[in-house]
Order: sequence, then C-alpha cells, then structure tokens
Amino acid sequence: MSFRKPSVLPGFGLTLGFTTFFLSAIVLLPLAALVLAAGSMHWSEFVAVVSSARALGSYRLSFGASALAASINVVFGFILAWTLVRYEFPGRKLIDALIDLPFALPTAVSGIALTTVFAQHGWIGRYLEPLGVRIAYTWLGVTLALTLISMPFAVRALQPALLEVQRDLEDAAETLGATRFYTFRRVILPTVLPALLTGFTLAFARAVGEYGSVIFIAGNLPMKTEITPLLIVIHLEQFDYRGAAALGVVMLLMSFAVLLTINLLQAWGRRRHVRAAH
Amino acid sequence: MSITLEQITKRYGGVPVVNDVSLHIGDGEFFVLLGPSGSGKSTLLRAIAGLTAVDHGRIALHGRDVTRVAARKRGVGLVFQNYALFRHMTVADNIEFALRVRHMRARRRRERRQELLRLVSLVGLDDRLPAQLSGGQQQRVAVARALAHEPEVLLLDEPFGALDAKIREELRRTIREVQRELGITTVLVTHDQEEAFAMADRIGIMNLGRLLESGAPHELYSRPATRFVATFLGAANLFLARSSAGSIQLGAATVAAGEPPSDAREHEVVAVVRPEEVAVAATRAALGPAFVGAGVVDEMVFSGALERLRVRLENGAAAPLLATADGAAATCLEVTRTQHEQRAFALRAGQSVAIGVRRVHVLPTPLSSFAACAASAPEAETLARQPLLAELAARMKTRIAVRCEPQLGAAGERTAADAPFVGATVIASEAGAAQRAAWLLERGASEVLVLPAQAAEPQRVLIHWLDEAARAATLAVSASVLRHVPAEAVYVGILPEETRAAPRRHGLRWLLEARSEAQAVHGLEMRTELRFGEVAQELARRLAEAPGEMLIVGVSDLERFAERFGALLDGGRWPVLIVHRAARGTVGASP
Repeated sequence: MSFRKPSVLPGFGLTLGFTTFFLSAIVLLPLAALVLAAGSMHWSEFVAVVSSARALGSYRLSFGASALAASINVVFGFILAWTLVRYEFPGRKLIDALIDLPFALPTAVSGIALTTVFAQHGWIGRYLEPLGVRIAYTWLGVTLALTLISMPFAVRALQPALLEVQRDLEDAAETLGATRFYTFRRVILPTVLPALLTGFTLAFARAVGEYGSVIFIAGNLPMKTEITPLLIVIHLEQFDYRGAAALGVVMLLMSFAVLLTINLLQAWGRRRHVRAAH
Repeated sequence: MSITLEQITKRYGGVPVVNDVSLHIGDGEFFVLLGPSGSGKSTLLRAIAGLTAVDHGRIALHGRDVTRVAARKRGVGLVFQNYALFRHMTVADNIEFALRVRHMRARRRRERRQELLRLVSLVGLDDRLPAQLSGGQQQRVAVARALAHEPEVLLLDEPFGALDAKIREELRRTIREVQRELGITTVLVTHDQEEAFAMADRIGIMNLGRLLESGAPHELYSRPATRFVATFLGAANLFLARSSAGSIQLGAATVAAGEPPSDAREHEVVAVVRPEEVAVAATRAALGPAFVGAGVVDEMVFSGALERLRVRLENGAAAPLLATADGAAATCLEVTRTQHEQRAFALRAGQSVAIGVRRVHVLPTPLSSFAACAASAPEAETLARQPLLAELAARMKTRIAVRCEPQLGAAGERTAADAPFVGATVIASEAGAAQRAAWLLERGASEVLVLPAQAAEPQRVLIHWLDEAARAATLAVSASVLRHVPAEAVYVGILPEETRAAPRRHGLRWLLEARSEAQAVHGLEMRTELRFGEVAQELARRLAEAPGEMLIVGVSDLERFAERFGALLDGGRWPVLIVHRAARGTVGASP
C-alpha cells in the first residue's frame, strides 16, 4: 500500500477508516447476512429452490430483459446524448431535465403509467392489439419498464464522454477522406467505447434490481412474466425467508459475475492501449 | 495547386463572418491569413477545406470549382490548433488513416508512413500513443497525417497556438522546409504577426470578415493602405496631417509626399510613422527639417536588441496624434531605438527631447476624422457621443472634434466658415437637416454624415452617386466605411422610370462596371440592384424597405440639393453619408 501525498481533506487514516466502516455497515454487512441466511439451508434444499423451473424461468426473464433494456438504452441513449451535446435548439435544457425524471419518479408510478398506456385498452395498446402485438403482461412489457427506468444511467454515462469528442476529430477524419460512417466506426465509437460500456453496466445493474415498475405491467405469470425479485417477494410473503435468501444469493452472484466481466473487459482494453504503446 | 476565392460570404444568424472575400493564391505559395480573433479567418479556411458551406461565392482549386464538393473529395490536408489526433490510435495508425480509407496495401502504407515520419523528424515513434508525446511532437504527427494522402493544398489553423515559444520556432522551420520540399500550396491562419512575417510569401489581413489587404510582408509593412493594417501589422503612430500639392504638413515638419496626391486641394490625411522612423534628439536644430515637436520621455523599456520609448508630446507642439499601436493613450508616441542610437544619445525617463520623423507614409483613406457639428456647443457634444459615431471613430482609431456653427443652415448670404471643414462633418438627422447639409457642402465640407440619434450599426450599406464626377470619391469613402462595419455593400443603380420598358442592357452594363471598379480599385465587393424612378424618391423607398440600412450618396452638383433630398434627410431613421466632389473644370464651391 502506498500512501498518497496529503490532500485538502486531512487524515488518511481517519478517512480510510471511515470508508471501511461505511462500506461494511451499508453494503457488506447486509450482504453477509443474506449469504448467512442462505447458508443455513441444506445444500440439496438450496439447489432445489434455486434450480426449480420457476426460478430458472425468472432468471431468464430478469437477466435477459435487463440485458435487452441496457442494449436498447446504449443505442438510443447514444443518440439522445449526442443530440443534447451536439445541437443547440429551443427546449434543449427541458429535454435534458426530462431525462432525469425516471430517477426521481417512484418506480411504481412508472409501472402504473406504462400499464395505462400499453394495456389492452390503453392509449397505445388498443392500436397495437389488432396488429397482434401485446406489450402489457408479456416479456415485452417487462423490457419496456426496465428500459424506462434504466435510461438515465446510459445517457448520463455517455454525455461527458461525447462532450470530449471534439468536432475537430470528425473534421480531421473528413478532410482525410473518411465517410461519415467510417468516421463513426473508426473515430467516434472507439473514443466513447469505455463510456458505452459503463452506461451499459449501470443500466443493466439498475434493471436487474428493479421491482416496483415491473410488477404492474408484467402480469406476473409464473414461468412467463415473473422476474426474480418478484419471486423473492413471493417467497417472503410465504415466510420462506431462507428460500428468498437463496434466490437473493444467486442474483447477487450472477450480477457480480456480469459486472466483473465488463470491468475486466474495460481494464483489458486499457491495458491493450498501453501495451501497444511500448 | 492554386486556390481562387470569389466573393465568398458566410453568415451566421444574418451577420456576415466572412464578407465578400475574393483572393487568388498561386501554385506553391505560402499564404498567411492574419487577423484578430473573430475576424473570420478560420471560417474562411474551413470554407476552403469544405467543412463550412458558404452562403455565396465560388471556391476553385486549380481552376476546378469545388464550392459544392465535400471536404473528403477536395484533396486538402488540414492541421488544427489542438492537433485533433485520434487518441485511441498509435502514431502509425494516425498517419495511415487517410491511406487506410483509400484501401492502400499495408506495405505501401508502411513505406509512406516512414517517409512522412522522416519528413517531420519523428522516426521511430510509430508505436506511441498521442498521449505519450509532447505538444510539439503531436503537432508534427498531425502535419504528417495531413500530408499522407498527398493533398495538393495544406491548410494550417493556428497550428502553433498551444505550443511554447521555442518549440514553436522549431516547428515553424520544419513546416516551412516541408512546404518548400513538397512545393505544396499552403494557407496558414494566425493572429500572430511575427509568425506571419516569418513564414509568409504573402500575407492577407482580415478584420470584421473582410480581407482588407494582401501582399508581400515588406510591402504591407511599409505601404499599408488602411489604418487597421497599419496598426495591426507592427506598431504604428497615426497622425492627422495636412496634405497639399506634393507635401505633407505634420506638426512643424513639412515632408515630401511619397506618391503624388490624388487630390490636389489641401485636405486632411492620416499619416503613419513607424516607431523606428521617429528620431529623438536633444535639440530642434539637430533634427533640422524633420522636427515635428517637443516631447518628454514617459517610459523606457529595454527589450534586447531594441529600446522601446513612450514619448509624450508637448501641448500644441505637434500634429494631432490619433493613436498608438495599442490604441490606448493618444498622447504618447511610440519610439524604438537600436543599440547604436542608444549609445549615440542616452536617455532617461522624464527627459525633454525634440522629436522628428524620418519617413511618413500617408494612408489613401478618404475619411481622416469626424467633426460633430451643430448650432450650439451642447448639441454638438451630444452628437459627438452618439454610439454609432463613437464606435466608428474608435474602430477607425480617429477622433471626433466638436464644432459649433451658430449660422448652421441659415439661409441668405453665402458666408464663408471661419475655418475650413476637415474630415467628415457630422450633423443630426432632424427637421432641416437637408438645409444644413447643403449649407456645409456649399462651404467646402467634402463629406457630411447625417446621423439619427438612435442609429445603430448598419447591416447593409447602400451606395449611389448622382454624378459621374463623384463616382471615384464615393467608392473610396464607401470602401473606407465598409472596412470598419461588418455590413454588406449594395450598389443601387437608378434609371429614369421611362427607360423601364426599354432594353435594360445599358443599365446592367453600368452596374457591372461600377462593381468591377469597386473591386479593382478598392478591393470592395458589392452587390448590385437596379431600380427605376426618381433618384431621391427611390432611395427613400429603398431605405424604408428594411431596417439596418445606411446610405452613402455621391453628389457633385449642389443645385437645389436641400429640396431634392429633404425627404431623405429631414428626420430620416437611417444614417446618410453625403460625399461631395465638384465636377472637374468647374470652380469648387469652397472659397
């Protein structure tokens, strides 16, 4: 461990101690309790709970829909962030503020609102129904809700990175003969790739943990539209605390695995740059 | 490859940032666009590169019209102030970018890259990332990258802006060597005149979107045509002097005029004296006929090879001093002396000295100064504070005198004014303004500006002359005004109503001639409009069509002037500048 030079805030020992305590009390302790609760189960019992068909179905939906929602948000978040960063138009500030709205709204409200619009007889749902497209009470609805609530994470992660892509870079590429698409693929995308990954990670993490908005629009049919957090709540309602904890541990491990993979990918990307330099 | 620009105009929100610029840059020439920030030079460069679309005009590269051709097909290389390197790519990938786009084979790419790295002296740094290079090295990479696809034009946008002095010097030399070796036509944009002198074959000076002058560095320095160029390119002391047949009166000194004056009658001119052309001596006798006046050394700064002095002129001793290079105190003269001169005559601050001039250059500008004129002193002083007038005078680095004429505009005997009218005389636009303007013109004022109290900076300057005799002077005055306001110039040709049905060919040719004369003689680009009807009425109608207009009108015959122009001048909402030149052969109205 190397001690950095003292900064404006005094007392490295004090601040490190506080950091450790804070993390332990707020993050690690509850997680440890979760693992302990699950640990009190017998192994076969644990496996039976977490690998039941209903649980497997819920993982698929939870992680699949979250990954889809995060991907959608990376693509459209990029366009949104690009528009906000690059163009000056009336109402820009307003749109910029609107993006944060899903942060502030209680997620249950978002869920109810979405259901109102997309249900069979809702404002939009009633026009989709004849086309054979049903959004509410299907996996589409789940994805929609997750996209809504994780959208700000992707946009806000991308905005600062896009601000740093100077227009000069595009101009330089253009005078060197590159088409717009080539410039996008070879200049802009590589420059903002780390931010894109961060945006994906944040949106994904947020979506996996989401509960409030989904339960209204999902319909919660076991095996079909039941997300893992809901399954956990169902276990809790039946006073099956250990079963809930077991599912919680599985979610924890899977989320951790995904986040770790992305972080390692980013680190690998950085290392590759540095290696290329020597 | 030569570059030809014809009447390039680019507006942002209606304001022209590049205003009617025409320019030809020869094959293999190193051309420097010099100007203060916001003068439009970078926009012009981007227009040549194809990154900014122009609103009007034509761009040709070696005779090929590229005005509508995309930047990537123009075959130009561009270097930016902040390098604009692709930070996720190595030096090699950066340089090869343009070659990859063109699907060049890897081996050929590598060869070309090695060649370019040699050219910019960066051999062996292929695998570095931009972040691992110094600023100077990064800019060298940017130059190599811009040259990779063998462009025929190299454009440099303030390429040394972010570098420190020593690196800057080195890179300058490299770029100049590369440019000579490849014989590539190059345009460099900068606000640094030293840089311009060091690199340019030719310099073009821009201000307020206009290309004011272009020429070889020494020519521009010794014979500038405009106040702006005189003060922007090197330091300059500007004086108001009086010119009469062949000689120039500057304070106590009479200096032979370098070129025969265009105007034989005595008139006020703006004279430029470079700091190194000011002589300082202990006594008047030591200076002989070069003596201008007495002064006191205000400040001395040692700056290596040269000594810089600020010498305050003693009251009444010299000609009115307009401004020094920094535009600040108009009472201090800027002087530089060599080591040799310092040894010959050592000075200390506070010392009284005699001041002389060795060489005077007279600017051909027809607008030397302003005089706010009214029947009473308070009115004249109020007029002198009019914002547009104050702004114009500040930009022209000239002064506004206050003049009280109690008889102004009075009818009756034509009495001579006490003192001759010099410069442009300014009167307020109100009832009776036409009468007053006529009064002034009859008494020898050659330019009269009728100015409404709320007049703001014009967006368009309409130009018209009633008599051919006034044409040259009107064009010269218009060019002078338009160098100082970012407005469009519009020549309004007016033919009698009855010719409307007749072939327009006659009128059109006349318009085109006026335009080409403005371009050839004054570098002034103007649009043209043709109207039919009675002159004064048509002008009034045209002025009322849009806000933000100003009129410059040339006259030589003052017969019934007040009657004819009453509607235009009495309380008009627009500024009108009347230029009066008597027809040749007739005796001037001035006594």
